[in-house]
Amino acid sequence: MNNLLIWPVALPLIGSLLALVWPRRADWAGIGASVAALAVAGLVAADVMRHDSLELAIGGWTPGLGIALRADGLSAALLLMSSLVALATAIYATNYFTDAHKRADFWPLWLLLITALHALLLSGDLFNIYVTLELLGLAAVALAALGRTRAALQAAVRYLTVGLLGSLAFLTGVGLVYAAYGTLDMSTLAGQVRAEPAAWVALALMTSGLLIKSALFPMHFWLPSAHANAPAPVSAALSALVVKAAFYLVLRLWLDVFDVALGPAAAGMLGVLGAFAVIWGSWKAFRAERLKLLAAYSTVAQIGYLFVFLPVLLASAPGAARDLVFGALVLFALTHGFAKSAFFLGAGVVLQRAGHDRIAELGGTARALPVTTFGLALAGIALIGLPPSGTFLAKWQLMASAIEVGQWLWIPVIAAGSLLAGAYVFRVLGHAFGPGEGVGPALAWARQELPALLLAVVATAVLGLGAVHVWSFVVPGLAIGGIQP
Amino acid sequence: MNALLWTLLDLLLAAMLLGLGWAAVATRDLKRGVALFIAFGLLLALAWARLRAPDLALAEAAIGAGLAGALLLAALRDEPRHEKLAAAHSRAGLWTLNLLSVLLAVVVAWALLCALEMGEGLRLAGAVTDHIGQSGVSNPVTAVLLNFRAYDTLLELAVILSAVLGVLALGPARRGYGLPGPVLGGLIRWLVPLLIVTAGYLLWVGAHAPGGAFQAGATLAAAAVLLRLGGVDRAGLPAAAVSRWLLAAGLLVFLGVGLSLAGLGYGFLQYPAGLAGGLILVIESAATLSIAVALALAYVGGWSRSGSTQPDSTQGGSH
Repeated sequence: MNNLLIWPVALPLIGSLLALVWPRRADWAGIGASVAALAVAGLVAADVMRHDSLELAIGGWTPGLGIALRADGLSAALLLMSSLVALATAIYATNYFTDAHKRADFWPLWLLLITALHALLLSGDLFNIYVTLELLGLAAVALAALGRTRAALQAAVRYLTVGLLGSLAFLTGVGLVYAAYGTLDMSTLAGQVRAEPAAWVALALMTSGLLIKSALFPMHFWLPSAHANAPAPVSAALSALVVKAAFYLVLRLWLDVFDVALGPAAAGMLGVLGAFAVIWGSWKAFRAERLKLLAAYSTVAQIGYLFVFLPVLLASAPGAARDLVFGALVLFALTHGFAKSAFFLGAGVVLQRAGHDRIAELGGTARALPVTTFGLALAGIALIGLPPSGTFLAKWQLMASAIEVGQWLWIPVIAAGSLLAGAYVFRVLGHAFGPGEGVGPALAWARQELPALLLAVVATAVLGLGAVHVWSFVVPGLAIGGIQP
Repeated sequence: MNALLWTLLDLLLAAMLLGLGWAAVATRDLKRGVALFIAFGLLLALAWARLRAPDLALAEAAIGAGLAGALLLAALRDEPRHEKLAAAHSRAGLWTLNLLSVLLAVVVAWALLCALEMGEGLRLAGAVTDHIGQSGVSNPVTAVLLNFRAYDTLLELAVILSAVLGVLALGPARRGYGLPGPVLGGLIRWLVPLLIVTAGYLLWVGAHAPGGAFQAGATLAAAAVLLRLGGVDRAGLPAAAVSRWLLAAGLLVFLGVGLSLAGLGYGFLQYPAGLAGGLILVIESAATLSIAVALALAYVGGWSRSGSTQPDSTQGGSH
């Protein structure tokens, strides 16, 4: 029996418990668990490459009676991304918390957050997914409140309330699914669902819960304050990973489970909301006065793009055309994960060194923090979607496929969003490279600056140049333009 | 005649639930709202009992009404001036919200009716009955929670842990209560040992009758709540270092059993035949302790400010 799939969940959980009982050694537990989790995520990815998909029926019970863990190209790619971002952020965090109490509070919760993410990505059971959503939500709220400032606490309470509302909607949908089809196992369910009222209402409830959690416009109102007021490593994980987990579930439900119950209008509606998110989020990011708030609004916009992909994806003919869009969607999600975590970590360095993150007063930052500024610039390139970043290729494919299926409407939205993104990124860089007192003498702050730079390099260069491999990993057997990777 | 009586009782129960639910939400006085909410929880426990789900009834009474109520009251204690809720919404906004809620309820009810009319498709109850012989216990609820869907329960323990860690990260404990009068003190001295014994019973009986780790843990935590109300600041909890181990114990044992089985060549959490009952009891015992400590710590509100001036028993009633 192959138990590989339990380890990405078990290892961070063990790390969390060790960090809880040995608060003084918590750093080591955190780094050790993150390295080990990354290693098993690599093993899972390698196995998925060999077998296309993996399954572990926990306890040996048939899925349905028991719970199955599953991995395919999509979940393995996101698992690898999340464990890599988690490790880089963990290294950053060892040098971030100066207060011993906060450090002891941070590690167990942080590792529980990673546990929840990995459990969610690997779960094949709807109720189990609800449990992972609860764990993810509670750990995220507790981490967002770690700053203990008034603003952070208020944002955290709002985050908690909104998150619970989302969970409740999701759970109601799950209850309805069980009443109608008598199983919660997603692959069994996929064969049972038909286009009928119970399926529609259940999907609508689950999707609305997830839309709240993924902060799709106009349900994004809780995100900017929660993400901007959290400690830097927490902001990075919330923006890069946690909102994406909810989007991943939307994708799973719409593509794998409820695909027969859907009409094209439903995906179009999500696409329109996504388009509003792109424009509104980018505009608010452009108008933001603080670096972290800018990054948070940029997340609202980038989540919008992910939802714009949906109508194009569902309108594309199954087969190579759809696989191309799907690969581009995953590439976009991965690139944003790396770029946004890099951006938040870099913003955290600026905030700690300068004592503020007011964009207008960033003058001299480039001289004082050259590595961080370079990292912010690289992450910015990926946020705009300039070559050679992964987002460039993903947006290119999105526009090409949108034209192919006759959905011209999205082209001006993507163009306007990218222009606005260019404006907000260059506004930051313009100030950072501008004259000013700076924040002190040039200093390399290896444990904090290098993880951010590394993540930005992955987003801009590695994913962009290696995009072909992402495509072939996510949709096995796809040949792109005759190139066989 | 008897059936008619039960129907009338059920209708009364449903009507009172709706009424209490509405009253708890509608009142502007938070203390009153909490009191109504506790009453609502108790009636809900009765409703579960009428639906022949005694496990849920026990859990609802212990956690939903009991501990949640105690937590809410403890939270209100520190906010004496904000008891009155300001009118946050205009009347028109409130009615729009109500209308939308009713609309949502109607749509969900309609979908549920459609779902129930689809007839007997797959159902899991049969599968549970078929496999209960191999589960190591005879109470189907425990079989599902600790064997068939043990992984859910493992993650639920992590959910409880994350909640209490979130509470602990917010700062030190709230101040405790003064010494009680002779009546409460005497009552506490009688009740605490009784609750501890009851918790042990619930844990043990869970294998073949309603009960189990969650109910036992909640009952044990109720003893801690009583102790704190009786003037014991730390609510009977051990020192922080020990409490940390107790918090982790449930998950450590659960994961330890699951991963050891995987190491021995079985699947993760795949109990070998014959050992299932024993392993489940070991896991549930550790989980009971963790749940009790987690709920008690949440009630205390954090680590105690000082560990030195704590009385170690309830002496309140002695004078």
